[in-house]
Amino acid sequence: MNTIGGHDTRPLRCAPDSTLEAFYRALIAQHGSPLLVFDKAILRQKFRALQSALPGVELYYAVKAHPDQHIIEVINQLGGGFDVASAGEMDLLLEHKVSGRRTIHTHPIKKDQEIRDALRFGATTFVVDNLHELRKLVPYRSRVGVLLRVSFRSSSAKVDLSKKFGCAPNEVFDLVSNAEALGIHIKGLSFHVGSQCLDASKHVEAINECANLIKTINQGASRPLSVLDIGGGFPADYELTGLDIDAFCAPIRSALASLPSDWHIIAEPGRYLIAPAVTSITTVTGLSRRGGYQWYYLDDGVYGSFSGQIFDHAVYPLQIFKTGAPVASIIAGPTCDSIDVIAEDILMPELEIGDLVMGLQMGAYTAATKTRFNSIPDAKLIVVDSREQSAK
Amino acid sequence: MKHFKETLYDAVCQEYRVDKLYFESKTEHQHLMIFHNAQLGRVMTLDGVVQTTEADEFIYHEMLAHVPILAHGKVKRVLIIGGGDGGMLREVLKHPIEQVTQVEIDQAVVDMAIEHLPNHSAGAYDDPRLNLVIANGFDFVKNTANSRDSKFDVIISDSTDPIGPGEVLFSEDFYAYAKACLNDNGILVTQNGVPFFQEDEVQNTARRMQPHFKDRRFYCAPIPTYYGGFMTFAWGTDNLNAISVSPETLEKQLEQLNLATRYYNAGIHQAAFALPEYIRSAVARA
Repeated sequence: MNTIGGHDTRPLRCAPDSTLEAFYRALIAQHGSPLLVFDKAILRQKFRALQSALPGVELYYAVKAHPDQHIIEVINQLGGGFDVASAGEMDLLLEHKVSGRRTIHTHPIKKDQEIRDALRFGATTFVVDNLHELRKLVPYRSRVGVLLRVSFRSSSAKVDLSKKFGCAPNEVFDLVSNAEALGIHIKGLSFHVGSQCLDASKHVEAINECANLIKTINQGASRPLSVLDIGGGFPADYELTGLDIDAFCAPIRSALASLPSDWHIIAEPGRYLIAPAVTSITTVTGLSRRGGYQWYYLDDGVYGSFSGQIFDHAVYPLQIFKTGAPVASIIAGPTCDSIDVIAEDILMPELEIGDLVMGLQMGAYTAATKTRFNSIPDAKLIVVDSREQSAK
Repeated sequence: MKHFKETLYDAVCQEYRVDKLYFESKTEHQHLMIFHNAQLGRVMTLDGVVQTTEADEFIYHEMLAHVPILAHGKVKRVLIIGGGDGGMLREVLKHPIEQVTQVEIDQAVVDMAIEHLPNHSAGAYDDPRLNLVIANGFDFVKNTANSRDSKFDVIISDSTDPIGPGEVLFSEDFYAYAKACLNDNGILVTQNGVPFFQEDEVQNTARRMQPHFKDRRFYCAPIPTYYGGFMTFAWGTDNLNAISVSPETLEKQLEQLNLATRYYNAGIHQAAFALPEYIRSAVARA
């Protein structure tokens, strides 16, 4: 980072757009800055696009990606299901009277109270990956259906979810027979190849391996396995290259096409659905010239909406309404900590105090992981519906 | 919600059409609904589980109220734990008893039932023989057991499921305190789930009640909307004669009462203690 010259190569849109800027400024005038603007129309469009890219696959929105009631309302209206991992997430669903029958509880490690809370809420699908967790379900065995999480590591995924959870494929047979002996029904397998996958090759590999495991088990099973949960991993378009979800899913579609038609295929998309539906709006609150760089201090940063740059290893595209000669710049957040930097050494036109800086694709694992550091107020989530607006 | 889907079991579920929603409340962890269904009349659900319906509540309430009261023969004081909908109270008050104490955890449940499930209580909450106590049922039996307060001839536990607010009413401590709240010949009865789907529940109760009663057994009746065949009721008493009350004695008592039952009669009273083999053996293995 010693040479000045744009080491931060994320997409940066620099173009005046008076209509959009006026719209955002009006929102800020009403609600203050910073904001997160959630566009329901984009979520609806992404949900339908994924549905048509994966026909016959039941979609369960991963509530953890952005546990917000307005987002849940849209998924609920679209008839989608919900993937939950905590009592807090279930309380959010209760707000919208979502039936427990439309939820799956996917946290592999649970306290007894969490199992009871989930059952009271009405979630009866649970995920386990080891014998200790299976034993916890014995008191509830007449009510639950269990998915066994299998681990397949993905070298291309940005976030590796197989490191922490999932049994090895060769442990599946023992766990299924242990479960049978405990009187618990394993109804299927689940996997997570990771988050933000570059292509679907790992999904296809995992689908094929799971299909073989299920077929082998079903040869001798008194209660056949019938559910395959292909997890998430569907990417967001952080590079703004115009991601084609239908093309991404084509190999998954053909892998699923070869499975028995009486199997139930489910998926847990989060990031793909919600990332593009939320835009962060921040305001330049301070300027400085330090060490050869132009510094900008925004009113939101990595302890707030941009927390995904730390926890989720995401790099969000930025947008400004200015043009001009590129200057080596540093974009920092509002807290006192020096780690609170959104973009280091980025080439961009000069900004002034009061200018807007937008973060794009900021719906997933952004507000979900924000902190209370410095007691700086949260970015409020504002709901818009671009379909309604364009209709007006 | 235009349809109600029960969430008790993963692999099967019953679905009811919601024809008219009368009442709905959702607090932080609890979701209660009362709605009309063409086949079943008014239906009350709690946390995705059917609690009672107008069409078949008579089977449940008659069997938990009349079986212990008539088996005992000289009941003066009855304790109902739960039963906020008022159906149990209605059946109990058909007997010439002196007093019934009902312990309900939430006054709002009683008020809501009087307004939206009026046929369940059918005016029973206005009966001068009622002593309505708003308290936790477990705390009530614990405190009564340790006090000099008058004991009861029959205790009826009309609770929700063991997963949820009714959990403590299925604990061994509850059975011990309830026993201590009974007069010498007193009888405790409790709702105990549908063993065709919930075998563990009948086994847990069998184990936990065993140390506290000389006669611990189950009887059963099929309640259509407690889907899965027979529901079991637990029976605990030190009164060894209660179980062997003769059909003639029952008939004679019934003649003097005007119970106007639709399920219970002297024959059913006796037959209900005969357990199907899958239930008998589950209890034996407990």
